[in-house]
Amino acid sequence: MSRSAQYLQEAADWLTRLQRPEAGEADWLAFDAWLEEPGAREAYDAVQAVDEEIFERGAALRGALTEPRRVAGKRPFSVDWRWLGGLGATAAAAAIALTLAPWGELLPQPDTLYSTAKGESRVIQLADGSRIDLNTDSNLSVRLEDDARRVTIHDGQALFDVARDERRPFLITVGDETVRVLGTKFDVRRRDGRLAVTVLRGAVEVSTEGEGKPVRLRPGQMLEHVDGSGAPVVRTVSTEEQVSWRSGRLVYRDQTLGRVVSDLNHYFERPLRLEGVSTANLRFSGVLIVDGQDAMVRRLTSLMPISATPTDDSILLRERSSPAK
Amino acid sequence: MSDTDSDKAALLRLYEEKRANLVRVFAARLNSRAEAEDLVQDLFIRISGLEVLEPIDNPSALLHRIGSNLMLDRLRSQKRSGARDTDWRDVNTTVLAGQEVADQPLADEVVNSRQRLQALVKAVEDLPEKTQQAFRLHKLEGLSHAETARRMNISVSTVEKHISSALKTLTRRLR
Repeated sequence: MSRSAQYLQEAADWLTRLQRPEAGEADWLAFDAWLEEPGAREAYDAVQAVDEEIFERGAALRGALTEPRRVAGKRPFSVDWRWLGGLGATAAAAAIALTLAPWGELLPQPDTLYSTAKGESRVIQLADGSRIDLNTDSNLSVRLEDDARRVTIHDGQALFDVARDERRPFLITVGDETVRVLGTKFDVRRRDGRLAVTVLRGAVEVSTEGEGKPVRLRPGQMLEHVDGSGAPVVRTVSTEEQVSWRSGRLVYRDQTLGRVVSDLNHYFERPLRLEGVSTANLRFSGVLIVDGQDAMVRRLTSLMPISATPTDDSILLRERSSPAK
Repeated sequence: MSDTDSDKAALLRLYEEKRANLVRVFAARLNSRAEAEDLVQDLFIRISGLEVLEPIDNPSALLHRIGSNLMLDRLRSQKRSGARDTDWRDVNTTVLAGQEVADQPLADEVVNSRQRLQALVKAVEDLPEKTQQAFRLHKLEGLSHAETARRMNISVSTVEKHISSALKTLTRRLR
């Protein structure tokens, strides 16, 4: 153990000892003496600050860590600690099969439904060590079986970090695509009949129902497909931008205002509506921090030639008529 | 100047010397550095008004004893953990529910706070299984070391090793 790590361990030992209900004068005198050692104060202060933060944010932390309740609850998967087993299993270049088939057919009944409300996001830690970051206003089901791990994305966006388990393929059902994932970290987005798969690590093979050859995706590539349309489109993207939603940012490069508004409407109850034929087709590039709806609208109107008018149940956005016209 | 007067002067001098470490020791149980600072300020007021009738044989222990009594008063008078959790949740929920955030600069704070929470969650999730269980029972469910030990069917000292190891790991990852 390095010297600084050792001080941190000693500091953590001290904090734990001082938190005993019976801690008394003798502990204080020994603690006070220990603090004279070089590096001790800094180490203790750092550990105490983190302990305090955990205390302050206990409820939020507990909420984020608690496994959601099971909907069907058939197997005794009781909320004990077993589901935590295998955490930290790093997912190297595992060969994972990910099948996207007409949803509902492949899977009999979804076992556990995970949902987020508008504006909410959550981390799902699966028993096999895989991790799913679920974005706002999203729904997916998970079922872990002996021979396969099955996920159905009903709607929304999620980032998967799949743990290696060669005996149990990771199968995802979404839209009408079949995807075979050879790698382990990827973002799947399904909104309004559109599918987007972005690979961050590893490799992915996507085949569309009825199409012949699968498309192979490498890190940094994104596949997009609209339900019922022809071949999917693959392009190179900034993966960081594609998963920026995890840090509360939306990044756009030359996107239509229609798309931006559609995204925002997954965060807030009060819908934004577009008025005027050309408004939806205005292009936007930039970063939007996701915070309050009014603040976001205010920033959009300052960045784009649009005006916002609140109505009883929505906010109307329309293109500002240019004075020249 | 009598002996006891000089004892009192020595106590006040020692207080100045030990002030920072007293804050450290009380911050452990109060779970709040700010509250420990407050307490140590109260402690000063107490010892300033102290009538020293007998020689003080261990002034450092006396400072701790008076401070401990003040600390127990504070722990008793407030249902602190519950109150704070709710405060934080209220703030957080307001933002998550997408309601208005009045001040724009708050946006970055909100994002930072969410990122920080994510980092904390990830760090806890990465802890070894038993360590994580002990950590969650004690720090998040509020069980004492002894209750955690009973629940996990292990010894109190093993619980403390797990908790301590969790704190070290989280500090390394988060600071």
